[in-house]
Amino acid sequence: MTNGKQSGPELFENLKLELRRGCLVVAVLAQLRKEQYGYTLRKALGDDGLEIDESTLYPLLRRLESQGLLISEWREEDKRNKRFYRLSPVGEGILTQLLEEWQRINASLEKILQEA
Amino acid sequence: MTNTPSRNPMELIDRYLQAVRFWLPKSQHDLALELAEDLHSQVEAKEAELGRPLDEGEVSAILKECGRPVVVAGRLRPQDYLIGPTIFPAYRFILKMTLLWMMLPIFVFIVGPVQFATTGSLGAAIGSTIGAMWTGGFIAAGIITLVFVMIERTQNKLRTADKWDPRSLPPLEKPERKASGGKTACELIFNLMALAWLLLVPYKPFLVLGPAANFLNAAPMWHTFYAPVLLLTVASILRLIVILVRPDWVRFPVWSKLLQTVLSLVVVNYMIKAAGQTAGAVWHPFVLAAQGGEQAVKIAAVVNVSILVSLVCTWVGLCIAAVVQTWQSVRSFTQTESFTPGSASLHVF
Repeated sequence: MTNGKQSGPELFENLKLELRRGCLVVAVLAQLRKEQYGYTLRKALGDDGLEIDESTLYPLLRRLESQGLLISEWREEDKRNKRFYRLSPVGEGILTQLLEEWQRINASLEKILQEA
Repeated sequence: MTNTPSRNPMELIDRYLQAVRFWLPKSQHDLALELAEDLHSQVEAKEAELGRPLDEGEVSAILKECGRPVVVAGRLRPQDYLIGPTIFPAYRFILKMTLLWMMLPIFVFIVGPVQFATTGSLGAAIGSTIGAMWTGGFIAAGIITLVFVMIERTQNKLRTADKWDPRSLPPLEKPERKASGGKTACELIFNLMALAWLLLVPYKPFLVLGPAANFLNAAPMWHTFYAPVLLLTVASILRLIVILVRPDWVRFPVWSKLLQTVLSLVVVNYMIKAAGQTAGAVWHPFVLAAQGGEQAVKIAAVVNVSILVSLVCTWVGLCIAAVVQTWQSVRSFTQTESFTPGSASLHVF
Protein backbone atom coordinates (compact mmCIF):
# COMPACT_ATOMS: atom_id res chain seq x y z
CA MET A 1 0.00 0.00 0.00
CA THR A 2 1.51 3.31 -1.00
CA ASN A 3 -1.38 5.66 -0.37
CA GLY A 4 -3.69 6.05 2.55
CA LYS A 5 -3.22 4.66 6.04
CA GLN A 6 -1.17 1.54 6.52
CA SER A 7 -2.08 -1.07 9.09
CA GLY A 8 0.07 -1.28 12.24
CA PRO A 9 2.04 -4.42 11.29
CA GLU A 10 2.51 -3.21 7.71
CA LEU A 11 3.74 0.16 8.89
CA PHE A 12 6.13 -1.49 11.33
CA GLU A 13 7.50 -3.76 8.56
CA ASN A 14 8.13 -0.80 6.29
CA LEU A 15 9.84 1.23 9.00
CA LYS A 16 11.87 -1.80 10.07
CA LEU A 17 12.98 -2.22 6.47
CA GLU A 18 14.11 1.40 6.34
CA LEU A 19 15.98 1.04 9.62
CA ARG A 20 17.63 -2.20 8.50
CA ARG A 21 18.73 -0.88 5.09
CA GLY A 22 21.48 1.35 6.41
CA CYS A 23 22.48 -1.09 9.17
CA LEU A 24 22.89 -3.93 6.65
CA VAL A 25 25.47 -1.96 4.69
CA VAL A 26 27.52 -1.42 7.84
CA ALA A 27 27.11 -5.06 8.86
CA VAL A 28 28.18 -6.38 5.44
CA LEU A 29 31.21 -4.09 5.33
CA ALA A 30 32.15 -5.13 8.87
CA GLN A 31 31.82 -8.84 8.06
CA LEU A 32 33.98 -8.45 4.97
CA ARG A 33 36.98 -7.29 6.91
CA LYS A 34 37.63 -11.02 6.53
CA GLU A 35 37.30 -12.47 3.01
CA GLN A 36 34.12 -14.45 2.44
CA TYR A 37 31.88 -15.63 -0.38
CA GLY A 38 28.16 -15.00 -0.64
CA TYR A 39 26.77 -18.00 1.19
CA THR A 40 29.18 -17.87 4.14
CA LEU A 41 28.60 -14.13 4.44
CA ARG A 42 24.84 -14.62 4.49
CA LYS A 43 25.20 -17.39 7.06
CA ALA A 44 27.49 -15.32 9.24
CA LEU A 45 25.07 -12.41 9.18
CA GLY A 46 22.15 -14.74 9.93
CA ASP A 47 24.03 -16.37 12.84
CA ASP A 48 24.61 -12.90 14.29
CA GLY A 49 20.88 -12.10 14.02
CA LEU A 50 20.81 -10.20 10.71
CA GLU A 51 18.94 -12.46 8.29
CA ILE A 52 19.32 -11.37 4.68
CA ASP A 53 17.98 -13.11 1.60
CA GLU A 54 19.93 -13.89 -1.55
CA SER A 55 18.16 -11.38 -3.74
CA THR A 56 18.98 -8.56 -1.29
CA LEU A 57 22.58 -9.50 -0.55
CA TYR A 58 23.98 -10.02 -4.06
CA PRO A 59 22.79 -6.70 -5.56
CA LEU A 60 24.07 -4.97 -2.40
CA LEU A 61 27.49 -6.61 -2.80
CA ARG A 62 27.59 -5.57 -6.45
CA ARG A 63 26.65 -1.99 -5.56
CA LEU A 64 29.28 -1.77 -2.82
CA GLU A 65 31.85 -3.16 -5.22
CA SER A 66 30.93 -0.65 -7.91
CA GLN A 67 31.34 2.09 -5.27
CA GLY A 68 34.86 0.86 -4.67
CA LEU A 69 34.20 -0.33 -1.12
CA LEU A 70 34.68 -4.04 -1.89
CA ILE A 71 37.03 -6.13 -4.00
CA SER A 72 35.90 -9.45 -5.42
CA GLU A 73 37.43 -12.33 -7.31
CA TRP A 74 36.14 -15.64 -8.69
CA ARG A 75 38.08 -18.62 -7.31
CA GLU A 76 37.60 -22.34 -7.33
CA GLU A 77 37.02 -23.91 -3.94
CA ASP A 78 35.73 -27.43 -3.27
CA LYS A 79 35.42 -27.95 -7.06
CA ARG A 80 33.04 -25.01 -7.39
CA ASN A 81 33.56 -21.48 -8.61
CA LYS A 82 32.87 -18.96 -5.87
CA ARG A 83 33.05 -15.20 -5.79
CA PHE A 84 35.03 -14.04 -2.78
CA TYR A 85 34.60 -10.55 -1.39
CA ARG A 86 36.74 -8.48 0.93
CA LEU A 87 36.86 -4.89 2.07
CA SER A 88 38.95 -2.55 -0.10
CA PRO A 89 41.28 0.08 1.47
CA VAL A 90 38.65 2.72 0.64
CA GLY A 91 35.98 0.50 2.22
CA GLU A 92 38.06 0.21 5.41
CA GLY A 93 38.18 4.00 5.73
CA ILE A 94 34.46 4.36 5.05
CA LEU A 95 33.62 1.58 7.51
CA THR A 96 35.58 3.35 10.24
CA GLN A 97 33.65 6.56 9.57
CA LEU A 98 30.32 4.74 9.41
CA LEU A 99 30.98 2.99 12.72
CA GLU A 100 31.83 6.32 14.35
CA GLU A 101 28.62 7.78 12.95
CA TRP A 102 26.65 4.79 14.16
CA GLN A 103 28.15 5.19 17.66
CA ARG A 104 27.13 8.86 17.62
CA ILE A 105 23.57 8.06 16.52
CA ASN A 106 23.32 5.30 19.11
CA ALA A 107 24.56 7.60 21.87
CA SER A 108 22.07 10.30 20.79
CA LEU A 109 19.20 7.83 20.75
CA GLU A 110 20.09 6.52 24.19
CA LYS A 111 20.23 10.09 25.50
CA ILE A 112 16.85 10.91 23.94
CA LEU A 113 15.30 7.74 25.38
CA GLN A 114 16.67 8.47 28.84
CA GLU A 115 15.26 11.99 28.73
CA ALA A 116 11.80 10.75 27.68
CA MET B 1 2.53 -24.34 -13.14
CA THR B 2 3.36 -27.84 -14.42
CA ASN B 3 5.02 -30.38 -12.12
CA THR B 4 7.57 -31.85 -14.52
CA PRO B 5 9.13 -34.93 -12.88
CA SER B 6 12.89 -34.74 -12.44
CA ARG B 7 15.04 -37.75 -11.76
CA ASN B 8 17.82 -35.74 -10.16
CA PRO B 9 16.66 -33.33 -7.40
CA MET B 10 19.61 -31.08 -8.23
CA GLU B 11 18.18 -30.63 -11.71
CA LEU B 12 15.47 -28.55 -10.04
CA ILE B 13 18.10 -25.97 -9.12
CA ASP B 14 19.28 -25.77 -12.75
CA ARG B 15 15.70 -25.34 -13.93
CA TYR B 16 15.19 -22.67 -11.28
CA LEU B 17 18.34 -20.81 -12.31
CA GLN B 18 17.37 -21.04 -15.96
CA ALA B 19 14.06 -19.37 -15.09
CA VAL B 20 15.85 -16.64 -13.10
CA ARG B 21 18.32 -16.01 -15.95
CA PHE B 22 15.42 -15.63 -18.36
CA TRP B 23 14.33 -12.48 -16.50
CA LEU B 24 17.84 -11.09 -16.06
CA PRO B 25 19.72 -8.99 -18.63
CA LYS B 26 22.90 -10.67 -19.89
CA SER B 27 25.04 -8.17 -18.01
CA GLN B 28 23.55 -9.52 -14.77
CA HIS B 29 24.07 -13.23 -15.44
CA ASP B 30 27.00 -13.37 -13.02
CA LEU B 31 24.49 -12.66 -10.25
CA ALA B 32 22.70 -15.85 -11.29
CA LEU B 33 26.04 -17.68 -10.94
CA GLU B 34 26.39 -16.37 -7.40
CA LEU B 35 22.84 -17.38 -6.68
CA ALA B 36 23.62 -20.87 -8.05
CA GLU B 37 26.60 -21.13 -5.75
CA ASP B 38 24.49 -20.00 -2.80
CA LEU B 39 21.76 -22.56 -3.51
CA HIS B 40 24.27 -25.38 -3.89
CA SER B 41 25.89 -24.35 -0.61
CA GLN B 42 22.48 -24.39 1.09
CA VAL B 43 21.82 -27.90 -0.22
CA GLU B 44 25.26 -29.06 0.93
CA ALA B 45 24.76 -27.59 4.38
CA LYS B 46 21.37 -29.28 4.70
CA GLU B 47 22.77 -32.60 3.50
CA ALA B 48 25.60 -32.35 6.01
CA GLU B 49 23.05 -31.67 8.76
CA LEU B 50 20.83 -34.64 7.78
CA GLY B 51 23.69 -36.95 6.81
CA ARG B 52 22.04 -37.96 3.52
CA PRO B 53 21.26 -36.50 0.06
CA LEU B 54 18.20 -34.29 -0.17
CA ASP B 55 15.13 -35.49 -2.01
CA GLU B 56 13.19 -33.44 -4.55
CA GLY B 57 10.74 -32.11 -1.96
CA GLU B 58 13.54 -30.78 0.26
CA VAL B 59 15.34 -29.10 -2.65
CA SER B 60 12.02 -27.70 -3.74
CA ALA B 61 11.50 -26.24 -0.23
CA ILE B 62 14.87 -24.43 -0.43
CA LEU B 63 13.94 -22.95 -3.82
CA LYS B 64 10.50 -21.97 -2.60
CA GLU B 65 12.05 -20.11 0.30
CA CYS B 66 14.29 -18.27 -2.14
CA GLY B 67 11.23 -17.01 -4.01
CA ARG B 68 9.61 -17.10 -7.46
CA PRO B 69 12.21 -16.78 -10.24
CA VAL B 70 10.59 -13.65 -11.66
CA VAL B 71 10.50 -11.99 -8.21
CA VAL B 72 14.09 -12.96 -7.40
CA ALA B 73 15.27 -11.72 -10.81
CA GLY B 74 13.37 -8.47 -10.22
CA ARG B 75 15.22 -7.94 -6.94
CA LEU B 76 18.58 -8.94 -8.39
CA ARG B 77 18.47 -6.61 -11.37
CA PRO B 78 19.18 -2.93 -10.87
CA GLN B 79 16.22 -0.63 -10.43
CA ASP B 80 15.04 0.48 -13.85
CA TYR B 81 12.03 2.49 -14.87
CA LEU B 82 10.61 4.18 -17.90
CA ILE B 83 9.84 7.42 -16.08
CA GLY B 84 11.79 8.10 -12.91
CA PRO B 85 10.67 9.82 -9.71
CA THR B 86 12.27 13.12 -10.76
CA ILE B 87 9.99 13.78 -13.71
CA PHE B 88 7.06 11.56 -12.68
CA PRO B 89 5.08 14.43 -11.02
CA ALA B 90 5.34 16.47 -14.24
CA TYR B 91 4.32 13.41 -16.29
CA ARG B 92 1.27 12.78 -14.10
CA PHE B 93 0.29 16.46 -14.25
CA ILE B 94 0.51 16.69 -18.05
CA LEU B 95 -1.30 13.37 -18.49
CA LYS B 96 -4.12 14.45 -16.16
CA MET B 97 -4.40 17.85 -17.83
CA THR B 98 -4.52 16.39 -21.30
CA LEU B 99 -6.92 13.54 -20.62
CA LEU B 100 -9.25 15.07 -18.04
CA TRP B 101 -9.18 18.78 -18.74
CA MET B 102 -8.62 18.89 -22.49
CA MET B 103 -9.69 15.69 -24.21
CA LEU B 104 -12.71 14.82 -22.08
CA PRO B 105 -14.39 18.24 -22.44
CA ILE B 106 -13.57 18.38 -26.16
CA PHE B 107 -15.18 14.99 -26.76
CA VAL B 108 -18.14 15.60 -24.47
CA PHE B 109 -18.93 19.15 -25.56
CA ILE B 110 -17.70 19.31 -29.16
CA VAL B 111 -17.18 15.91 -30.78
CA GLY B 112 -20.29 14.38 -29.20
CA PRO B 113 -22.71 17.18 -30.23
CA VAL B 114 -21.14 17.37 -33.71
CA GLN B 115 -21.57 13.59 -34.10
CA PHE B 116 -25.18 13.96 -32.96
CA ALA B 117 -25.78 16.80 -35.41
CA THR B 118 -24.22 14.76 -38.22
CA THR B 119 -25.82 11.38 -37.58
CA GLY B 120 -29.05 12.57 -35.98
CA SER B 121 -29.03 9.50 -33.74
CA LEU B 122 -28.21 9.85 -30.05
CA GLY B 123 -27.13 6.21 -29.65
CA ALA B 124 -24.84 6.28 -32.68
CA ALA B 125 -23.39 9.63 -31.58
CA ILE B 126 -22.64 8.33 -28.04
CA GLY B 127 -21.12 5.11 -29.41
CA SER B 128 -18.86 6.79 -31.95
CA THR B 129 -17.82 9.51 -29.46
CA ILE B 130 -16.86 6.96 -26.80
CA GLY B 131 -14.95 4.96 -29.39
CA ALA B 132 -13.10 8.03 -30.64
CA MET B 133 -12.46 9.15 -27.04
CA TRP B 134 -10.83 5.80 -26.13
CA THR B 135 -8.68 5.79 -29.24
CA GLY B 136 -7.72 9.45 -28.83
CA GLY B 137 -7.04 8.98 -25.11
CA PHE B 138 -4.76 6.00 -25.67
CA ILE B 139 -2.88 7.75 -28.46
CA ALA B 140 -2.46 10.93 -26.37
CA ALA B 141 -1.35 8.94 -23.31
CA GLY B 142 1.05 6.94 -25.48
CA ILE B 143 2.61 10.03 -27.03
CA ILE B 144 2.96 11.79 -23.67
CA THR B 145 4.52 8.67 -22.14
CA LEU B 146 6.92 8.33 -25.07
CA VAL B 147 7.99 11.95 -24.79
CA PHE B 148 8.62 11.61 -21.05
CA VAL B 149 10.53 8.35 -21.56
CA MET B 150 12.77 10.21 -24.00
CA ILE B 151 13.20 13.04 -21.50
CA GLU B 152 14.06 10.48 -18.81
CA ARG B 153 16.62 8.82 -21.08
CA THR B 154 18.24 12.09 -22.13
CA GLN B 155 18.09 14.16 -18.96
CA ASN B 156 20.88 12.19 -17.26
CA LYS B 157 23.11 12.66 -20.29
CA LEU B 158 22.30 16.34 -20.63
CA ARG B 159 22.51 16.88 -16.85
CA THR B 160 19.61 19.33 -17.11
CA ALA B 161 19.01 19.00 -13.37
CA ASP B 162 22.16 21.04 -12.73
CA LYS B 163 21.36 23.62 -15.41
CA TRP B 164 18.96 25.85 -13.62
CA ASP B 165 19.19 29.24 -12.06
CA PRO B 166 17.17 30.15 -8.95
CA ARG B 167 16.86 33.64 -10.43
CA SER B 168 14.77 32.23 -13.28
CA LEU B 169 12.03 31.17 -10.84
CA PRO B 170 8.68 32.98 -11.33
CA PRO B 171 8.22 36.07 -9.14
CA LEU B 172 6.27 35.88 -5.93
CA GLU B 173 2.57 36.31 -6.41
CA LYS B 174 -0.08 37.67 -4.10
CA PRO B 175 -2.71 35.12 -3.15
CA GLU B 176 -5.54 37.12 -4.76
CA ARG B 177 -3.72 37.22 -8.08
CA LYS B 178 -3.37 33.47 -8.33
CA ALA B 179 -5.79 32.00 -10.84
CA SER B 180 -8.12 29.48 -9.25
CA GLY B 181 -7.80 26.13 -10.97
CA GLY B 182 -11.41 25.16 -10.30
CA LYS B 183 -12.74 28.49 -11.56
CA THR B 184 -10.61 28.32 -14.69
CA ALA B 185 -11.70 24.73 -15.33
CA CYS B 186 -15.36 25.78 -15.04
CA GLU B 187 -14.73 28.67 -17.44
CA LEU B 188 -13.10 26.24 -19.84
CA ILE B 189 -16.11 23.92 -19.73
CA PHE B 190 -18.51 26.81 -20.37
CA ASN B 191 -16.36 28.03 -23.27
CA LEU B 192 -16.28 24.54 -24.76
CA MET B 193 -20.05 24.37 -24.47
CA ALA B 194 -20.28 27.78 -26.13
CA LEU B 195 -18.03 26.59 -28.95
CA ALA B 196 -20.17 23.49 -29.47
CA TRP B 197 -23.26 25.70 -29.48
CA LEU B 198 -21.68 28.07 -32.04
CA LEU B 199 -20.68 25.17 -34.28
CA LEU B 200 -24.17 23.75 -34.20
CA VAL B 201 -26.10 26.99 -34.68
CA PRO B 202 -25.74 27.13 -38.52
CA TYR B 203 -27.26 23.63 -38.77
CA LYS B 204 -29.77 23.96 -35.94
CA PRO B 205 -31.04 27.60 -35.88
CA PHE B 206 -33.57 26.71 -33.17
CA LEU B 207 -30.63 26.76 -30.74
CA VAL B 208 -30.59 30.57 -31.00
CA LEU B 209 -34.09 31.45 -32.22
CA GLY B 210 -36.13 28.74 -30.52
CA PRO B 211 -39.53 28.07 -32.15
CA ALA B 212 -39.10 31.32 -34.16
CA ALA B 213 -36.54 29.43 -36.28
CA ASN B 214 -39.51 28.15 -38.29
CA PHE B 215 -40.19 31.60 -39.77
CA LEU B 216 -36.96 33.59 -39.17
CA ASN B 217 -33.62 33.31 -40.99
CA ALA B 218 -30.17 34.65 -40.09
CA ALA B 219 -29.31 37.84 -41.96
CA PRO B 220 -26.29 37.90 -44.38
CA MET B 221 -24.32 39.92 -41.82
CA TRP B 222 -23.59 36.72 -39.90
CA HIS B 223 -21.56 35.39 -42.84
CA THR B 224 -19.05 38.15 -42.04
CA PHE B 225 -19.07 37.92 -38.24
CA TYR B 226 -19.52 34.19 -37.63
CA ALA B 227 -15.82 33.37 -38.20
CA PRO B 228 -14.45 36.15 -35.90
CA VAL B 229 -16.86 35.14 -33.12
CA LEU B 230 -15.82 31.49 -33.55
CA LEU B 231 -12.13 32.43 -33.47
CA LEU B 232 -12.61 34.52 -30.34
CA THR B 233 -14.19 31.52 -28.59
CA VAL B 234 -11.36 29.22 -29.68
CA ALA B 235 -8.81 31.81 -28.50
CA SER B 236 -10.59 31.98 -25.16
CA ILE B 237 -10.41 28.18 -24.82
CA LEU B 238 -6.70 28.16 -25.65
CA ARG B 239 -6.12 30.96 -23.14
CA LEU B 240 -7.83 28.97 -20.36
CA ILE B 241 -5.87 25.83 -21.24
CA VAL B 242 -2.63 27.79 -21.01
CA ILE B 243 -3.69 29.16 -17.61
CA LEU B 244 -4.38 25.62 -16.38
CA VAL B 245 -1.20 24.13 -17.79
CA ARG B 246 1.10 26.99 -16.83
CA PRO B 247 -0.10 28.39 -13.48
CA ASP B 248 3.40 29.82 -13.02
CA TRP B 249 2.81 32.34 -15.83
CA VAL B 250 1.40 34.75 -13.30
CA ARG B 251 0.92 37.72 -15.61
CA PHE B 252 -0.61 35.73 -18.45
CA PRO B 253 -4.23 35.53 -17.12
CA VAL B 254 -4.56 39.29 -16.64
CA TRP B 255 -2.85 40.39 -19.86
CA SER B 256 -4.48 37.76 -22.07
CA LYS B 257 -7.88 38.60 -20.59
CA LEU B 258 -7.34 42.26 -21.51
CA LEU B 259 -6.34 41.29 -25.05
CA GLN B 260 -9.41 39.08 -25.34
CA THR B 261 -11.67 41.88 -24.11
CA VAL B 262 -10.18 44.37 -26.58
CA LEU B 263 -10.62 41.94 -29.50
CA SER B 264 -14.22 41.23 -28.44
CA LEU B 265 -14.84 44.97 -28.22
CA VAL B 266 -13.55 45.43 -31.77
CA VAL B 267 -15.81 42.68 -33.11
CA VAL B 268 -18.90 43.96 -31.24
CA ASN B 269 -18.15 47.50 -32.37
CA TYR B 270 -18.07 46.43 -36.02
CA MET B 271 -21.29 44.44 -35.58
CA ILE B 272 -23.11 47.49 -34.19
CA LYS B 273 -21.70 49.66 -37.01
CA ALA B 274 -22.69 47.09 -39.62
CA ALA B 275 -26.19 46.91 -38.15
CA GLY B 276 -26.49 50.70 -38.43
CA GLN B 277 -25.43 50.64 -42.08
CA THR B 278 -27.85 47.91 -43.16
CA ALA B 279 -29.62 49.02 -46.34
CA GLY B 280 -33.16 48.19 -47.37
CA ALA B 281 -36.72 49.33 -46.86
CA VAL B 282 -37.06 47.31 -43.67
CA TRP B 283 -34.34 47.42 -41.01
CA HIS B 284 -33.56 43.72 -40.41
CA PRO B 285 -29.78 43.51 -39.81
CA PHE B 286 -29.62 40.31 -37.71
CA VAL B 287 -32.63 38.18 -38.65
CA LEU B 288 -35.00 38.18 -41.61
CA ALA B 289 -38.58 37.00 -41.81
CA ALA B 290 -38.55 33.84 -43.90
CA GLN B 291 -42.23 34.28 -44.77
CA GLY B 292 -43.80 37.52 -45.83
CA GLY B 293 -46.51 37.44 -43.13
CA GLU B 294 -47.09 40.62 -41.08
CA GLN B 295 -46.72 38.69 -37.84
CA ALA B 296 -43.34 37.26 -38.90
CA VAL B 297 -42.05 40.71 -39.89
CA LYS B 298 -43.14 42.12 -36.51
CA ILE B 299 -41.37 39.32 -34.65
CA ALA B 300 -38.24 39.84 -36.78
CA ALA B 301 -38.26 43.54 -35.88
CA VAL B 302 -38.55 42.78 -32.15
CA VAL B 303 -35.73 40.21 -32.34
CA ASN B 304 -33.50 42.66 -34.29
CA VAL B 305 -34.01 45.42 -31.71
CA SER B 306 -33.40 42.97 -28.86
CA ILE B 307 -30.13 41.77 -30.42
CA LEU B 308 -29.00 45.36 -31.04
CA VAL B 309 -29.80 46.36 -27.44
CA SER B 310 -27.89 43.27 -26.23
CA LEU B 311 -24.92 44.19 -28.39
CA VAL B 312 -24.88 47.77 -27.12
CA CYS B 313 -25.06 46.55 -23.51
CA THR B 314 -22.24 44.08 -24.27
CA TRP B 315 -20.21 46.94 -25.81
CA VAL B 316 -20.66 49.08 -22.67
CA GLY B 317 -19.78 46.11 -20.45
CA LEU B 318 -16.67 45.36 -22.51
CA CYS B 319 -15.57 49.01 -22.32
CA ILE B 320 -15.83 48.96 -18.52
CA ALA B 321 -14.07 45.56 -18.40
CA ALA B 322 -11.28 46.89 -20.63
CA VAL B 323 -10.68 49.85 -18.28
CA VAL B 324 -10.70 47.65 -15.17
CA GLN B 325 -8.46 45.03 -16.77
CA THR B 326 -6.01 47.64 -18.01
CA TRP B 327 -5.68 48.92 -14.46
CA GLN B 328 -5.27 45.35 -13.14
CA SER B 329 -2.61 44.60 -15.77
CA VAL B 330 -0.62 47.72 -14.92
CA ARG B 331 -0.97 46.97 -11.19
CA SER B 332 0.19 43.35 -11.68
CA PHE B 333 3.24 44.59 -13.54
CA THR B 334 4.20 47.23 -10.98
CA GLN B 335 3.55 44.87 -8.03
CA THR B 336 5.71 42.15 -9.55
CA GLU B 337 8.44 44.66 -10.11
CA SER B 338 8.27 45.85 -6.50
CA PHE B 339 8.20 42.23 -5.24
CA THR B 340 11.39 41.21 -6.96
CA PRO B 341 13.89 43.99 -7.26
CA GLY B 342 16.00 43.66 -10.35
CA SER B 343 13.55 41.25 -11.94
CA ALA B 344 13.95 42.76 -15.40
CA SER B 345 15.74 39.64 -16.54
CA LEU B 346 13.09 37.22 -15.27
CA HIS B 347 11.24 35.23 -17.86
CA VAL B 348 7.66 35.30 -16.70
CA PHE B 349 5.89 34.49 -19.94
